Amino acid sequence: MTKFFILLSAFEISVSLWSEKLEAASVDKSVIRVNTTMQSYNLVQPWEKGASSTRIGLGAILPEGKVLVTAQMVTDATYIELEKPDTAAKTTAQVITVDYEANLALLKPINDNDFLSDRLPFELDTDLSPKDKVEAWQFEASGTPVTTQITVSKAEVRQSFIDTARFLQIQANGPVQYRSGSFTLPVAKNNKLAGLLISYSSKDQISNILPASIIEHFLKDTEDGKYTGFPNLGIMYSQTLDEQFRKYLKLDQENGGVFVSKVIEGASAAAASIKSGDVILSINGKEIDSRGNYNDPVWGKLSFSHLVRGKAFTGDSMKIKILREGQKKEIDLKLIRRPAEDYLIDPYMFDRGPKFSIIGGLVFQELSVPFLKLFGNDWQSRAPIKMLMAHASPEMYEKEGRRKLVILTRTIPTPVTLGYERLSTLIVTKINGVPINDIQDVDKAASMPANGQHRIEFDSYPKLIFLDAVLAGRVNASLKQRIGITKRLK
Amino acid sequence: MKSPIFSFIITTLAWGLAPAQDKNEKENTNQANNSSRYEAVVRIENSSLNPDYRSPWNTGRDSGGNGTGWLVGENKFLTNAHVVSNSRIIYIKKVGDAKPYRAKIVHIAHDCDLAMLELEDPSAFEGVTPFDIGKLPQLDTTVKVIGYPIGGERISITSGVVSRIDFLSYSHTSVDLHLTIQIDAAINPGNSGGPVIQNGKVVGVAFQGYSGNIAQNTGYMIPTPVIRRFLKDVEDDNYDHYVDLSMSDFPLINPAQRKALGLANDGIGIMVAAAEKDGSAGGILKTGDVLLAIDGRPVKSNGLINYEGEDVNMNEIVERKFAGDVIKLKIWRQNKSIDAKVTLKRFLPYLIAAKKYDEKPRYIMFSGLVFQPLDRNLMAAHGMKNLQVRYHFDSYVSADIYKDRPEVIVLTSILPDSINSYFSNFKHSIVDEVNGVKVKTLKDVHNALAKDNDDYIIISLLGNGRPIVIERAKVEAAQKRILEKYNVIKDHYLGD
Repeated sequence: MTKFFILLSAFEISVSLWSEKLEAASVDKSVIRVNTTMQSYNLVQPWEKGASSTRIGLGAILPEGKVLVTAQMVTDATYIELEKPDTAAKTTAQVITVDYEANLALLKPINDNDFLSDRLPFELDTDLSPKDKVEAWQFEASGTPVTTQITVSKAEVRQSFIDTARFLQIQANGPVQYRSGSFTLPVAKNNKLAGLLISYSSKDQISNILPASIIEHFLKDTEDGKYTGFPNLGIMYSQTLDEQFRKYLKLDQENGGVFVSKVIEGASAAAASIKSGDVILSINGKEIDSRGNYNDPVWGKLSFSHLVRGKAFTGDSMKIKILREGQKKEIDLKLIRRPAEDYLIDPYMFDRGPKFSIIGGLVFQELSVPFLKLFGNDWQSRAPIKMLMAHASPEMYEKEGRRKLVILTRTIPTPVTLGYERLSTLIVTKINGVPINDIQDVDKAASMPANGQHRIEFDSYPKLIFLDAVLAGRVNASLKQRIGITKRLK
Repeated sequence: MKSPIFSFIITTLAWGLAPAQDKNEKENTNQANNSSRYEAVVRIENSSLNPDYRSPWNTGRDSGGNGTGWLVGENKFLTNAHVVSNSRIIYIKKVGDAKPYRAKIVHIAHDCDLAMLELEDPSAFEGVTPFDIGKLPQLDTTVKVIGYPIGGERISITSGVVSRIDFLSYSHTSVDLHLTIQIDAAINPGNSGGPVIQNGKVVGVAFQGYSGNIAQNTGYMIPTPVIRRFLKDVEDDNYDHYVDLSMSDFPLINPAQRKALGLANDGIGIMVAAAEKDGSAGGILKTGDVLLAIDGRPVKSNGLINYEGEDVNMNEIVERKFAGDVIKLKIWRQNKSIDAKVTLKRFLPYLIAAKKYDEKPRYIMFSGLVFQPLDRNLMAAHGMKNLQVRYHFDSYVSADIYKDRPEVIVLTSILPDSINSYFSNFKHSIVDEVNGVKVKTLKDVHNALAKDNDDYIIISLLGNGRPIVIERAKVEAAQKRILEKYNVIKDHYLGD
């Protein structure tokens, strides 16, 4: 009971402190605690979920009763709770939009639409620049607001949450103390939302902030009720610093340019027939230097990928100046987005169970980066080499018409799998004569055994095995009793 | 420095511990009479020169060690290949005689870890009776191991029983499997090459074991079938190596598998998983075939055949054949039995994964870029992690890479110079083409680089759309500069 009283008095103090600026956002009226319980699927035994864990972060309250947090806060969430720091009133919330690549998510109370009506939504301030003083907003466990001033130093395009997704991030200097185990903190400038603090290094006292400009992009995308996501160019490039290389490419010395070393099928660049070997000189009139940076009026040198991801929307057109075989050329490129789920190997997988199908104890799954990561921190050297190759060069398999790479991940010892117990991590080519291009194909093929046997073909040793179809059906039935489900196709 | 030689399984420690000292040798002479029956067992001291795959132009690193050998015929000593690998100078020492006698290799068979030596001057062994070679010993019969292991200077004898007869990997190359006998007599570094005796005859050559922290009392010897084959092979004065069926098999244990392949449930037959295209059985065996019999002996579903009353690996048939020999296979395909004949030959692509010896590393150093053909020695020396390199090494045989690229050429290192100052990211890449010419051997790289009809040299790398571009005009000066600066004696060695 004593604790409760202290909390109440703290609340009164904070009200009196901030009551003068009713209109502007304030720590106690614009920031809300977000408590999430998450439970990931077990990729080794895909019919199961692992142990649950909780995360605590602070969300920024936006108009229309929405709350902005990082996507990291809500991955695989089973239960999301909004908690008012002052009154400790709680309500259950749901995710309405999430973008794991941009690392942003919008939440809303599930039932209590008026839950946030006594709060003050943030406005965005997208005009950050170096040396700006910004404040990280948070609370003590008691609910007392804490603001910490930090100073913006620079911006960089870097990875935030998903390995392959790079976005503009702002760095700010100054000590920040995490209160109440916060994972995500709103950052304010003049009481407007300048970004979300996503990580902090106590050693260097550097905060990384997802800036309001990216948040604005994300919010704009949600306006039509249909979220598309950030566009991507779909190329791999290399720098053109090497004099010999520049001469060979006939790049004049005052120009920069990046060399397109690979064009990813199904993305914007491929659609605009940009080819490997082209040199990209400028995008929408912004010249790209030989390191791959353009000159941003505010931040100076920034990776040109920000011109695509940070500034443009899917569906926008861009003017791209290239050098092809020594000739300058201008290309009109329409930005498209190749969605993550279209990739041969899913780069990430949240909020859904891994797709799988069991035949008599053989467990088939679609290969994903999270699966590769089961091989540990050094998965890039420890995972099976063929799978790593498929990850690096998916086009080898996409050419064959594969939408996904189906693998036999493991073999549960059953009477049907006698003699096959050691088989695991094999790429499946055919089942019962049907080419396997995704997990649905496994399910389809499993219904057409010939002469009472399933014929399963792999691309490597032992190449070919057979299962007794009747027995496999029986084993599946008993597995279903034991583990609940024997397939998840969606 | 001499240290006892031993081939360890599953350890990186291939060279023994204690350096040998020669000062006690004279004391042995007093006991010459007692030791006379061991006169045919000799101590072998090898000074070796181990090639440097990181700086292939250098002569290599001096090293050495000692092992054991035994007289198998007139001026013919048998020992392990690993005792005398990468050898520069070899001395043989006799029991009770301090004098080292200079010896040389007559034949060395890395694939079965055996070598034959002879003395420059055989007179010291005149009158010494060579050992007779016995048969395959039975399980649970006693054997004696004679040799010069660590723990002292003088000859050592240990004894134990035959614990197991199996078909196992020979760690010297790590890719060859042969008949092997496990014994529980102590076998230690320095025993390598020494005879294992039963009833006065040699029944094996001690050659490998586990280090004590992995398994105890587990020593291995090369049994007489392997020794006899070696002796027979070199009768024509030339070692022709083992031949191979070059196929992989999968045990037929699963009843559905047997049924689907149309086989009775009689425990006979092993499935062919794959046959290498360029191997002996290439074009004859196919995935899904069942091998029913080999040279008339039924093959069990676990790949064993009955041979001289013992269950042995079916490869034992092939093991005792020579290049050009024909074996008969009974194949079960689409519910029909087919008789096929296979002419046996070596399958060289397997060697990419073998530890190699007595070979001078081949390379090209061009503008500071060092190109070398991929093999196990190269992988080990450079610790390459590059995905393409690892894939090509791993799948060289299984993905038929050898057909497309007999040699996989890797840019292994870069000697920094102004001509290559932006190239460091390309280290450990595989060379795909040089000036549009597809690279299949190291010689292709050499030839393509030698042509100077273009202003630029374009080296395309696998998995990287960005080629290496070098201005032809700058090459000559750079080459001279780099050779001198980095003390590179010769800018290429393409082999003999």
